[in-house]
Amino acid sequence: MSAPSSTVAGRNPAPGLLRTLASAVLLDGRGDVELLRETRGAEIDWGGVYAQHVRLTGPWRISIEVDGTSVDLPSSVMSTDLEGDRFRSLHLVGGLRLVQRIVPLASPPGAVRTLTITSAEAAAKPVCVTSRFVPYLLPVMVEGIRPVDFLVETGVSGLRVRHRGFALGFTSDVLPSRLYVDRASWRGGRRRGRAAEIASDHELRVGAGVSAEIRFLLVGGLERDLDHTPRTPGTSIPDPETVAGQLALEEAAWSGLRPELAFPDAPELERAYDQARSALRRLYTQPAPGMTGLVAGYPWYSTIWCRDLAWMLPAVLWLGDHAWVSAAIDSVLRLQATRELELLGAEAGELPMQISPGPVFLFGTSDTTLHYPALALRSLRHSGAAGSTGSWKEALERAIAWGERRTDPRTGLFRNGGEVALLERAAQRYARVRYGIDAPDTTIWDSTDRRDHAIDLQVLWWEALRAAVALEGPGTDAATHRRRTLLIDQLEGSIRGLYRWPEEGYLYDSLRAGEPVRRLRPNALRAVSAGLFEPEVARAIVRRASAEDLTTPWGVRTLSSRDPGYRADAYHDGQVWTIATAWAADAAFAAGERELGLTYLRTIAARLATEAGGANECYRGDRPEPYDSCFLLGFSVAPFLTVIFERLWGLTPDATVPRLEVRPGFPPSWRSASLDGLRLGDGRVSLRFRDGELEVGWTGPRPLELVGRRDRASVPGGSRARISAR
Amino acid sequence: MRERGVGALLSLLRQGLALEIGFGTRSVEALLWVAETVEEAVYAPGSMVRTERGVRFELSNPPLRAGAFGAVRAWVDGTPVDPRAVSVREGAGTPWRAAASISQREPLALRPGQAAEVRLEPVTAPGPGRLTVRLELESVAIPPLVWLEFSDEVREPGGPA
Repeated sequence: MSAPSSTVAGRNPAPGLLRTLASAVLLDGRGDVELLRETRGAEIDWGGVYAQHVRLTGPWRISIEVDGTSVDLPSSVMSTDLEGDRFRSLHLVGGLRLVQRIVPLASPPGAVRTLTITSAEAAAKPVCVTSRFVPYLLPVMVEGIRPVDFLVETGVSGLRVRHRGFALGFTSDVLPSRLYVDRASWRGGRRRGRAAEIASDHELRVGAGVSAEIRFLLVGGLERDLDHTPRTPGTSIPDPETVAGQLALEEAAWSGLRPELAFPDAPELERAYDQARSALRRLYTQPAPGMTGLVAGYPWYSTIWCRDLAWMLPAVLWLGDHAWVSAAIDSVLRLQATRELELLGAEAGELPMQISPGPVFLFGTSDTTLHYPALALRSLRHSGAAGSTGSWKEALERAIAWGERRTDPRTGLFRNGGEVALLERAAQRYARVRYGIDAPDTTIWDSTDRRDHAIDLQVLWWEALRAAVALEGPGTDAATHRRRTLLIDQLEGSIRGLYRWPEEGYLYDSLRAGEPVRRLRPNALRAVSAGLFEPEVARAIVRRASAEDLTTPWGVRTLSSRDPGYRADAYHDGQVWTIATAWAADAAFAAGERELGLTYLRTIAARLATEAGGANECYRGDRPEPYDSCFLLGFSVAPFLTVIFERLWGLTPDATVPRLEVRPGFPPSWRSASLDGLRLGDGRVSLRFRDGELEVGWTGPRPLELVGRRDRASVPGGSRARISAR
Repeated sequence: MRERGVGALLSLLRQGLALEIGFGTRSVEALLWVAETVEEAVYAPGSMVRTERGVRFELSNPPLRAGAFGAVRAWVDGTPVDPRAVSVREGAGTPWRAAASISQREPLALRPGQAAEVRLEPVTAPGPGRLTVRLELESVAIPPLVWLEFSDEVREPGGPA
């Protein structure tokens, strides 16, 4: 996404994303702020300015009138250039040369857009620049709805548009000569009512050899924050090149601290690592003080989804951004429900589905809460900082207690499903207009019914319980410890004993009313990754998943194409998801099927290369065509990165010792590889693999305990050691 | 006010307080903004009008999910409406489309902010008073049903909104 790209008029460019930690601009690179995307089967325009997880505007279009003719920007474009977070386009309009620049702005969150106009003609001529935008002003997660009524008002520093606590400010350094609401002239002041388009005319004179420039500033998000932001007079709108330069410096500073990989035997994986790392960085968000995380994706999931965040944070730990992970976990745990909240569909101990600086959005997922105990343990093992995990202790205990209440005492199995019932009840009682989505179950494949005991949920529950035990401190009573360890054993036994599907050499997808659900999905591979099955069974499961009914050349389907319910365009019942491909890679390495694991990683690398560093959410099950897909999804890059560190490099950290286990999964044909700048607690590790031997460098204050397959070594800070890599 | 209504109100108040303690006033307030927006921005309040053989009303947005829908079904006061009696159009002057003609192959596209008019006729002529309508839409891309249920007074054509 951050790689420079160029287009010329007439081509269909890739989606463009300009972003800061608090804002984003989405465009299609044709010259205006518009972005038509197939969405849920129909074309929807996602172009616009986004801030604080609120969509401020729909498409924001500019046209130029000169010599009595009005021309829009896409039809006059000569070239465009998207580099980093700056979009620039060149246009020719009636003898005028226009250079447009667009950058996102972090504070106040929004965007700056400028037009620099020059003329080769001797006489000065009038030019009218018209800006038109569609006001939105609703959190991004309410993806299908645009508010109807707005309060529009003019003031000394421009235009304000408000809708129920959300607001945008629009100003320019060339004051508007005319204003329009819904194409009708408006003289300004205060206006409440419908507003589907707000437009303004700006008059400039362009003379020979003298350029004229107009700068627009469009910012907003939460009304209270916008109203407390010092108003930016039109004359002090930041210069877009300065903003872009600052953003580039921030990105370079972040990238400079991340591990560097070299795979001379697989340069495509090396490139894919760089692309995935950059793509993940583009999802970083800090929309308001006290809220840190990564948005799930763009365009329609550009807010913090706590399940998606949980899948991304392990990769962020491997990238060494421990503080970001700690702050993100803080942000989620702080919004845990400590008692049942029917209004939000929350049970006591549950973690939210979605958070934002505005509303806390709904709970009611079966898996989100289960991720966080293991995530906290991971964080401790990467950073060595026990302080954070100590402060999370109570929240994690509540999360485990929530899981225990959903556990079948006969089997130890976690029960998923029915999460929406609480919300339904609340809607019945309180709402005047009732609405909803009939999802009986809310696992990661939340559009399909996987009740009552989906296999991947059991693995998550097992991991959560093990993490809880590992995080137990002196304050944990013996009875609690014993109850948990017994539950872990019981659950392990149930997973091993109840999910085997002998006819397929695979695992059932779920158990419902005591009966196996015979649907072949990639989710079963999570049990292999967790090491819950003996090697022979694990290999059989992984090989079965590699058959062509589940694995395609562009990734792994969510459901076998042989299943009667399979549909190539069904979101979770047939489409290919890159996260499923990453699971398959992870499981293949875990089962010792290195070449197969590598094939899956190469499949993801090929998608990243094809999409110029973007990573689609999903593809049709019958051809490699994105369908109903965000063009960038954290799911599609983070697990890939995690597999590279944990399986290809075979790394298991524990910064509290500090210790690093290194058991590379490189195929026998690989001669060399390197990894520099891997953060572990207070130190950094470098790894050099050459001809079966590993040389390890360490910079930490305490000696590093290094554990390989066959041997181990102690590496004092500032020194290196060698062990066998085979 | 009926007892259940008082109970619900007290429960709402109690939950609101719990939310405030847990998440701060601002989160609760913001959730309310969104809930109110959704309530008023899908079914256009006051738009239910009696027609010769049924009723007509307006939607200002698709219900919660945008995109293409392969099926549209309606209920009036709990009674299913024959799909041939359900029609949708983008606005005055555009052609009506019968729900019976909507399918996975020929879906109905509804985009954010796109208004639509829904006509239910013939349906058993509703008497005076409130009518409860339930609409169910099936996305072509994501299976779970999206639904909307609302009650409103039926206005006579040309009557005050």
